[in-house]
Amino acid sequence: MFAYTLRRLLDLVLVLFGVSVLVFLMIRLIPGDAVQIMLGANTEITPDRLEALREKLGLNKPLLAQYWDWLTGVLRGDLGQSVWTGAPIREEIFARLPLTLELTVLSLAFGVLLSIPIGVLSAYWRNSMGEYLVRLVAIAGVTVPSFWLGTLFIYLSFKLWPGFPAIGYVPLAEDPVGHFQRLLFPVLALSLPLLAGLSRLLRSTLLDILGQDYIRTARSKGLSERIVMYKHALRNALIPLVTVVGIQAGYLFGGAIVVEQVFALPGMGRLIVGAINERNYPLVQGTILLVTAGFVFINLLVDLAYAYLDPRVEYA
Amino acid sequence: MRRMGWLFLAVLIGSLAWAQTPMRGGTLQIAVDSSPAGLDPHVATAFATFVVIGNIYEGLTEVDEGLRVRPALAESWKVSPDGLTYTFKLRSGVIFHNGQAFDAKDVVASFNRVRDPKTGSPLASRFNLVKEVRANGPQEVVFELSQPFSPFLSELAGLSIVPSEYVAGGGDLQRRAVGTGPFQFKEWVPDTYIQLERNPRYWRQGRPYLDALRFNIVPDAATRQIGISSGTYHFLPNIDPSLAVTLRNAPGVRLYQTQDLAYSLVGMNVSRKPFDNPKVREALNYAIDRRALVQAVYFGNGVPGGPLSPALKGWASPTSAFPCYNTNPAKARELLRQAGYPGGVDFTILTLGSVKTVVDAAQVLQAQLAAAGFRAKIEILELGKFVQEWRNSNFDAFASLNGGSADPDGYLYRTFSTGGSTNVFKYSDARVDQLLNQGRIATTLDARRRIYAELQVKLACQGPIAHLVYGTLFSAAREGVQGFKPVPTRSLLYLRDTWLAR
Repeated sequence: MFAYTLRRLLDLVLVLFGVSVLVFLMIRLIPGDAVQIMLGANTEITPDRLEALREKLGLNKPLLAQYWDWLTGVLRGDLGQSVWTGAPIREEIFARLPLTLELTVLSLAFGVLLSIPIGVLSAYWRNSMGEYLVRLVAIAGVTVPSFWLGTLFIYLSFKLWPGFPAIGYVPLAEDPVGHFQRLLFPVLALSLPLLAGLSRLLRSTLLDILGQDYIRTARSKGLSERIVMYKHALRNALIPLVTVVGIQAGYLFGGAIVVEQVFALPGMGRLIVGAINERNYPLVQGTILLVTAGFVFINLLVDLAYAYLDPRVEYA
Repeated sequence: MRRMGWLFLAVLIGSLAWAQTPMRGGTLQIAVDSSPAGLDPHVATAFATFVVIGNIYEGLTEVDEGLRVRPALAESWKVSPDGLTYTFKLRSGVIFHNGQAFDAKDVVASFNRVRDPKTGSPLASRFNLVKEVRANGPQEVVFELSQPFSPFLSELAGLSIVPSEYVAGGGDLQRRAVGTGPFQFKEWVPDTYIQLERNPRYWRQGRPYLDALRFNIVPDAATRQIGISSGTYHFLPNIDPSLAVTLRNAPGVRLYQTQDLAYSLVGMNVSRKPFDNPKVREALNYAIDRRALVQAVYFGNGVPGGPLSPALKGWASPTSAFPCYNTNPAKARELLRQAGYPGGVDFTILTLGSVKTVVDAAQVLQAQLAAAGFRAKIEILELGKFVQEWRNSNFDAFASLNGGSADPDGYLYRTFSTGGSTNVFKYSDARVDQLLNQGRIATTLDARRRIYAELQVKLACQGPIAHLVYGTLFSAAREGVQGFKPVPTRSLLYLRDTWLAR
């Protein structure tokens, strides 16, 4: 387990290095002169202004030197400065990250915790009327995108519950009740598709497992159906669930970007979208690097959890 | 019975008068679609910035709802008979939000800051005819021009006066705006809101009425729409025509509208075939049905227009002055044949994918042009690529949306003069250049009007731009919002007169 963890950590460092190179190059390989694009169309731009901005961003240096400056900065924890406001990027990220993490964690918790009973029950009652209904809802949940759900929730709350604060953001410290009220719909919009996907997965895995020999053995030993389900079937069914949850956590982060747009929440998603719209390249680099690092790190955790749950997993 | 009627009328008038007495206080919740990228008025190019800082800063002059130039920080001015010297008498008793008193040195410092290449201000080129600025005592500023420049007073409205001591002391205007305007900067929570507070020492007595303006940053149009319908927001400035149409019958919501200065257009590259031939450009104009574009793309909220916005009353020529505005595909074909293209022409229209009206317009145009023998291929580009091709004049034609100006010079000079800073069409015409320069130099209104009338006719049919539509500019407000007036320049000048009835 120790050697496995160590090797996976080493992988992580390599992947992050590769990502840093990609993120850095991608922005420089976008068609068009970055500086001209930053200043936009239809404005009068003098060569002086172009040159001043190029120098400010260090774009007049050779590519390798630019990368070296950036990478050493990143390693020191300095992600540079936002082009337009001059604010340190690290500060901007730390101001936004907590909200997105909160959204992701709450949605993940909500989705996972509810998916287990739903998955178990629909495996129990398979092919009953109620189960068909659950399946129908689940298919809808998987196919309907979060942003559409979000808009629908805002609209419904306005129609049915006019006083409810569905839009905007209040910090937790300022007004805890208002804070969670405003997070309710975003979390629902994010977690429903997850909930639907996970419970479907759990149902089919459980059905598969319940047909296996060792379950028949357990039953023939006279164990109660409850024990068979929870001790034998569910534990094994959770292994693929963990993998999927890991992948989904990354997607949730992506979904949060869209949901933040819809609910006007100031999270990482808004920061990234804003940075891209404003052509704020240092900020784009910094945020993408961080999000990718998060994604890679979650994958590491999943792999470790997997190795823990299933002792057969080893580093191949 | 009659008496009752009069009584009723009197009560009605009385209550209306009462309703129109401005009330002090309240926070106006505004929803805007994007976050400003920095607040420095001398560096900003983004519209999202001006919407906010227009309430914080003032210039020597301002442009009102009828596009007339009015005194602002300058109380009055004198122009020398040769049109070269402008002497401004400054308003006294004006205090910046940081407590510094406003005087002539702030005007000089602001001007020099804009002109300094290190600032990299996009405003710099608008003032390149200014030779010298000097303070003549604390209350008087003199501008010496190298040649007469009639749009000067209206251009000055765009030059925000910043406090010289704050800037010299390393104050960061990008993150903390300090001006003399009706509202002062309070707080900016990125991507959440920008809060401005009433300036208690504002020089216009009793203004503003509101205690605060809160610019909530709400990127999603559907969310803004539900937000104003539910009363979460009071005011949505400068909204899309599609959103305006949706809000038109929303209960409790009122729409303000005025004529926009911005216009949709097809730009043609006159250094390339086939648009190097003026007859082809004229044919393209004949092929376009502008009224159909107004209906299809702007939902009927706009007007066909030539080189100047109809909002520039007294300047813009009626479309009847442009014969090529009478849609006539047969005539277009005939012109194409005369130009040596009997079989029609093939070309590509570049468009910016992110502006929906432009993409829609290009698609409608494609169909219209086909009837006259123009086989247009539409290429939808991402901003970066579009700007690059546009700047390098690497296009046959493009469809786009251009901003306007309160003075005809702002529309025409940089766009059509030989080597003009946004003349990406490579257009060059000796008579047009001559007229453009005369338009700047001429000091009487009559002379200028004649010049711009001739220019419009000359540019409308054979110029490098086929002007399409000037849209209607909409803003939406809750019914309790009073006293606001929309301005074609999109400035929110009249938030200082706005109040909330409760």
